[in-house]
Amino acid sequence: MGLDAVEASYFKRSSLWKFTVVLLAVILFVVIIVSLNVGYAQIPFEHILLILGKRVPGISSVIDSSVVPSVEEMIIMQIRLPRIFAGALVGAALAAAGVMYQGIFKNPMADSYVLGVSAGASVGASFAIVFGAGLTLVGMGAVQVAAFTGAILTVFLVYSISRVGPKVPVTTLLLSGIAVSIFLSAIVTILTVISGNKLHGIVFWLAGGFFNVEWVDVWAVVPFILLGILASYFFARDLNLLALGEETAQHLGVNTERVKQVLLVLGSLVTAAAVSISGLIGFVGLMIPHITRLLIGPDHRVLLPASTIIGAIFLVICDAVARVLTGAMELPVGVITALAGGPFFVYLLRKKKASYGM
Amino acid sequence: MNSRYLTYVAVAITVVAIVSAVFAYTYYNAQIVDLQQKIETLENTVAAQENELSKYRNLTLVDDHGFVLKLSSYPQRIISTAPSCTEILFALGVGDKVVGVDDYSNYPYNFSEWIKAGNMTSIGGFSTPNTEVIVSLKPDLILTAGTLNDENAKTWRSMGYNVLALDPHDINGVLQDIMLVGRATGSEAQAASLVNSINARINAVFEKLAGVTEKPKVYYEIWYDPLMSVGASAWENQLIEKAGGVNIFANQSEQYFITSSEVIVSLNPDVILLPSSHGLGAPFWGSFDQVKARAGWSSISAVKNGRLYVVDSDIITRAGPRIADAIEMLAKIFHPELF
Repeated sequence: MGLDAVEASYFKRSSLWKFTVVLLAVILFVVIIVSLNVGYAQIPFEHILLILGKRVPGISSVIDSSVVPSVEEMIIMQIRLPRIFAGALVGAALAAAGVMYQGIFKNPMADSYVLGVSAGASVGASFAIVFGAGLTLVGMGAVQVAAFTGAILTVFLVYSISRVGPKVPVTTLLLSGIAVSIFLSAIVTILTVISGNKLHGIVFWLAGGFFNVEWVDVWAVVPFILLGILASYFFARDLNLLALGEETAQHLGVNTERVKQVLLVLGSLVTAAAVSISGLIGFVGLMIPHITRLLIGPDHRVLLPASTIIGAIFLVICDAVARVLTGAMELPVGVITALAGGPFFVYLLRKKKASYGM
Repeated sequence: MNSRYLTYVAVAITVVAIVSAVFAYTYYNAQIVDLQQKIETLENTVAAQENELSKYRNLTLVDDHGFVLKLSSYPQRIISTAPSCTEILFALGVGDKVVGVDDYSNYPYNFSEWIKAGNMTSIGGFSTPNTEVIVSLKPDLILTAGTLNDENAKTWRSMGYNVLALDPHDINGVLQDIMLVGRATGSEAQAASLVNSINARINAVFEKLAGVTEKPKVYYEIWYDPLMSVGASAWENQLIEKAGGVNIFANQSEQYFITSSEVIVSLNPDVILLPSSHGLGAPFWGSFDQVKARAGWSSISAVKNGRLYVVDSDIITRAGPRIADAIEMLAKIFHPELF
């Protein structure tokens, strides 16, 4: 194959990737609009369009939304929309971090929680739930702040433990992540035992969900998640080379230690931000990258953005289901992600078993 | 002369002796009669008590979980494993027989202070009682509430302890349980008068509410993150109904469940009830202002009209002798114009 042919094939793939990402973005947009229509309150779809249209610059002047009851506007703008945004952000963050970690560790079992982010966040959140009753300074945000802090501190600890001189061997990193997680899980167990009537607060935080998400929660994590994911795209090529093995990548001019360090920080940051608003949501960080790989291929230049958007789509849908499946009662969204995602992944795995490769 | 003098002395002594003997006889006879009467009274008392005791020995108690309990004497060392049981025992005047309580018991006395001072023994948390402590207390009666301690109760029964399980599902159930504990502890009379006074107070509330046609829609918050409330099968739901309110989740069959702001905003309650925190610092829901500032809540009728109330959750949630307090308290909140 001549150089021209390689180039032509790259451009062909490149345009296919662009098309894929744009298509996924459109699907995400549609899913968001449709899920705005899903909830306990029966709100006519045209009312939702009027409420949204009123806020679109340019056409806002021609929209007459006087027929829309203020309660409906309140529910759409103050309750459903921030929740859907949070779902999209968290899904995107967990899936993107999953791609980063699986790329760095070259391990299919690596997920966004692998460095102890989940355990660290759980300890932080549980502490805030059990002892933070008097914390009114940050109000209801105490749990979020504590979860974020716990997650970041834990990653820092795991990273320091596993560092050997200037290098961070991935095996050591994985093992110290597991060791620290087990230790922290024990602390969470102690906290649940002494938590008394706050037990269900911890249990439901661990189950994950978007129970009381408000705009302020969304705005607090948007910079971390969006900048973190965008920055990771600059390392997509390096991740491709890392897939060939660390030594090979080094010989091809990749500063592997630097790439690992930066991506570990970015992955942990977006995961910690995500976990701080949603609690622990399983499956997304582990499975969405695999599902995207099966659907689109292993090249990180498309895998990263596609996983990000598919993660967002998946979690927005799961949260919509969690909202309406049981009427006035609500299910933790982590339950839905695992119930829906597990079988779908098995189906894909069996169907594409032959061609599946990391 | 000498012999005559001696005769006088002999006669005088004889007379004195006879008179003293008569006096002594009369006196001691009275004493004996008195003693005989006392003995008779005592015998009667003993017979009456034996009669009572034999009735008691023949008394078979069936607790709320269907277990049959036979006691050979009045319990002298009682353990209460739930706050509601503790409240019933103390309301019946047999609190001096209580040797151990769970850590959540805090009424009618500050038991944690008692425990610190060594005047009471803690048997552990409500759902985590310590069987070793219970054994060391040598109880002759253990009271349990609800189903949380079923497994423990099984163990205790198999160890030969007398366990009385209380699990009332409505107000009548609570009143029956008060009578049951009264029979078990030999305080039936106190139990009957307590039940009468509770009935009288509840009926007084019902009379005031008789003409009420408009019942406020009530949201009772169990927890904020996630939002949890009470459904039809919850105890709180009954109290709200009896006090002239309508639980917004009355058609939800679950006892306690997670819900969301959207559902609460849609159901638009007229009254919001928030539980107090019992000295555990700020309550989980923060302040009224924080509740009002929750996303979307400004459109709720209760928020618009400032009808947010803090209620003592101990009074509301415990199926014990304070149910009349609970109903009076809620009725005053729901229908302030009638009280």
